[in-house]
Amino acid sequence: MSDCLKEKVGEVLLPGDIFSFENTSEKVICGPGLRRNGDEVLVCKSGILRHKHPNMYWVDSQQKRYVPVKGESVIGIVTAKSGDVFKVDVGGSELASLSYLAFEGATKRNRPNVQVGDLVYGQFLIANKDMEPELVCIDSCGRANGMGVFGAGGLLIKVSLGLVRRLLAQQSALVKELEQVFPFEMVVGLNGRVWVKAQSMQRVQVLASLLESCENMTPQQRHALFRRAANGAS
Amino acid sequence: MRETPLSNCERQFLLKAIEEKKRLDGRQTYDYRNIKITFGTDYGCCIVDLGKTRVLAQVSCELVAPKENRPTEGILFLSLELSPMASPIFEAGRQSELLVKLNRLLERCLRNSKCIDTESLCVVSGEKVWQIRVDVHVLNHEGNLMDAASIAAIAGLCHFRRPDVGIQGDEVTVYGPEERDPVPLSIYHMPICVSFAFFLEGTYLLVDPSEREERVMDGLLVIAMNKHREICSIQSSGGIMLLKDQVLRCSKIASVKVSEITDLINRALENDRKARKEGGKFGFAELMAVQRITALKSDEVSIEMSDGDAGAPSVAITTESPPEVGRVPSPVVRAPGAGQVGESLENAWGLEQLEEEEDQPGDEVMDEGLEIKEENQRQEKSKGEVVVISDSEEEEVVILNPKTQVKESTLHASQSQPQSTGAAKKKKKQQKKKPVH
Amino acid sequence: MAGLELLSDQGYRLDGRKPSELRKVQARMGVFAQADGSAYIEQGNTKALAVVYGPHEVRGSRSKTLHDRAVINCQYSMATFSTAERKRRPHGDRKSSEMSLHLKQTFEAAVLTQLYPRSQIDIYVKILQSDGGNYSACVNAATLAVIDAGIPMRDYVCACSAGFVEDTPLADLCHAEESGGGTSLALALLPRSGQIALLQMDARLHQDHLDTLIEAAMTACKGLSDVLDSVVRQHLQEVSVLTRD
Repeated sequence: MSDCLKEKVGEVLLPGDIFSFENTSEKVICGPGLRRNGDEVLVCKSGILRHKHPNMYWVDSQQKRYVPVKGESVIGIVTAKSGDVFKVDVGGSELASLSYLAFEGATKRNRPNVQVGDLVYGQFLIANKDMEPELVCIDSCGRANGMGVFGAGGLLIKVSLGLVRRLLAQQSALVKELEQVFPFEMVVGLNGRVWVKAQSMQRVQVLASLLESCENMTPQQRHALFRRAANGAS
Repeated sequence: MRETPLSNCERQFLLKAIEEKKRLDGRQTYDYRNIKITFGTDYGCCIVDLGKTRVLAQVSCELVAPKENRPTEGILFLSLELSPMASPIFEAGRQSELLVKLNRLLERCLRNSKCIDTESLCVVSGEKVWQIRVDVHVLNHEGNLMDAASIAAIAGLCHFRRPDVGIQGDEVTVYGPEERDPVPLSIYHMPICVSFAFFLEGTYLLVDPSEREERVMDGLLVIAMNKHREICSIQSSGGIMLLKDQVLRCSKIASVKVSEITDLINRALENDRKARKEGGKFGFAELMAVQRITALKSDEVSIEMSDGDAGAPSVAITTESPPEVGRVPSPVVRAPGAGQVGESLENAWGLEQLEEEEDQPGDEVMDEGLEIKEENQRQEKSKGEVVVISDSEEEEVVILNPKTQVKESTLHASQSQPQSTGAAKKKKKQQKKKPVH
Repeated sequence: MAGLELLSDQGYRLDGRKPSELRKVQARMGVFAQADGSAYIEQGNTKALAVVYGPHEVRGSRSKTLHDRAVINCQYSMATFSTAERKRRPHGDRKSSEMSLHLKQTFEAAVLTQLYPRSQIDIYVKILQSDGGNYSACVNAATLAVIDAGIPMRDYVCACSAGFVEDTPLADLCHAEESGGGTSLALALLPRSGQIALLQMDARLHQDHLDTLIEAAMTACKGLSDVLDSVVRQHLQEVSVLTRD
């Protein structure tokens, strides 16, 4: 089965394509865009099939609009405080809710210092089509783990979902190359929002424009671009 | 639709950047974005691109009865529409404040300043006059709709030709375009709006605010002038407190900008006129680059890398291979195994090392056959319908060709648009920086 | 309008005024019992009435509530009998909406809205007789009404119109001068600081004359602010006399 999947790696797949299993001994991990249906694997998003050793497959699709998924970490903008709950805009169809108590060290007496318009980095606790999505800024053990309010200084930019996935990949060459240009701080939300901060305003602007432009470049073009940026910065 | 709220950190960053006199897109405080004026095949149809803001103006005319208190004057009717396709915050059918503001400004700028000779539009006094109708549609909202709309409206009016009319005694005959050449409108002067955005209690001002800058601005001052240094209209909005010197300073800046823009409009009109006379190509289909979803064409912006470095290298890529003028890649057929969708996008999930190591047949498309075409900029300029003002304009066109070049040549024989860019990224040399006054 | 000289050889205007002379201003505050604040002003033949309600809870859509300041809601309308020809559409047309927007913008700059978050202040203005300078009369009436309602403001907001004929600026235009086709400038000023809250100009004017025109308008506004100030003081004195034991 994986043979016929392997053949299709790098090809365009459309929703409705089916791959059927003959021998069930091989394990295949379905990533986004692929869904298991009994013995078959269905494609549910259009895009290019990708593969990662040893047996992970997924469909790479281009999408701008974010749909909340449970467990994903996103950057949200606080739009309102109502009662015990913050309303946070995550770029989806609904505002997500974030409770006062979902911060590290927050109690009923000790409220977190969050204002309207602040940026928060949190994870989705609940995100399905039937309910309003809910964010939390602590993990299951109660620790912040890098989440919470942030964003003094720096700039928030909007990029496509494909680019954020590339930035968050484990051995992302993109991030490594960016590091060579100059030191910076970056928070990447899976909803297409990236926050960057560097030593000076200019560097931040340069970073922002680098990120926005390297979406559709080949590696060679990107090398050239980053090298020029690094030369200019030094 | 509710618009994405502006976070505090974005607001602070923008304001801080403005304090240091730096704008996000690399412009100077008094710089305009690239203005592109394109005329359509019909007379009176004009599209103006101000950076990414795009506005369409269409001028039409009909014979109507005049107003009772002005029996010898024609009627000029202006209407601006904010189409929901321009921005998710515009809703269809609802009259918002912005719409009223823009409409009134446009009316005052064009109608009250008497830029058109309405007496010449009279056909039969008291019975029939021409009603000139200008419809402006906003196609994409990326800041500063007012300026773009005013440029589009006045360019459309200058471009428009009305049918010729003959009067014999009591009979009025309207001649069609085949019988007699249509007649242009008589335009006294060309009022152009210039917008100034004020920030931080009026201490800083910027010309031509982009959409993000508009969100953090305190208020806007719009000055409409013509190139004879006559002010046609001033309007301050947004609750800012101005001082008299600020207004006078703005009017001086406006006069410079207006003369530049008026020259640009005149050049564009001239080019269009020449093209029509010589039988060259004109109209939107010829002049607007064809954009395909399988490739990306983006304008690069140069940003100063270091402080105070005059010759700072721009963040741009130079052309690598020599140009092949006039070739258009086939739009449809590719070799099997090549990705058609998302071709220009790289894989997302950590496959980058894979790409550099292995050379699978499917991935070959990206590495091999990467051809960069450069379109002859002179070729476009000679057509001239599209006249561009730019400080630094970079357009990237890359063609991703499959190994078979032969297929291409056979397929593009049917293409008749040599300069459409198609699935190609092209690079242009950076133009000389326009001197800022 | 041919044959009607806006400025005669001796330097007199159509109604006999000198170029920098304002029309006679008469004003009264507290004319309505129901409203929180109200005022009536007569500038020459232009008569305007303003009424203020607030600060009160935001009505209508809750989404308009601002979390850190008050929302100012203005409505401008002209009575159908206010102009020479009966006005068919007193409000809702574009000119009225534009005027309402301008009023809103002017008062948002002047009123200290930070003191009343999540609330709404309504200002309704009606023109009873229109003889030029509509916007100015509205602003002046609204200023008095807001002061009557006790809502704190940064300064008086005074407005005046100005025109330009034969190198002479004219202050406080009447209807004939406005519709003559010449330049007309409407200016709303905070007199003590000299800051311009709203600037609106129509019709062609050469750039060099802009300075003199704005200067003339500002002087007229300052004169008007003295008049408004005396009206407020007089009103307070009357009221306090009445309420004294």
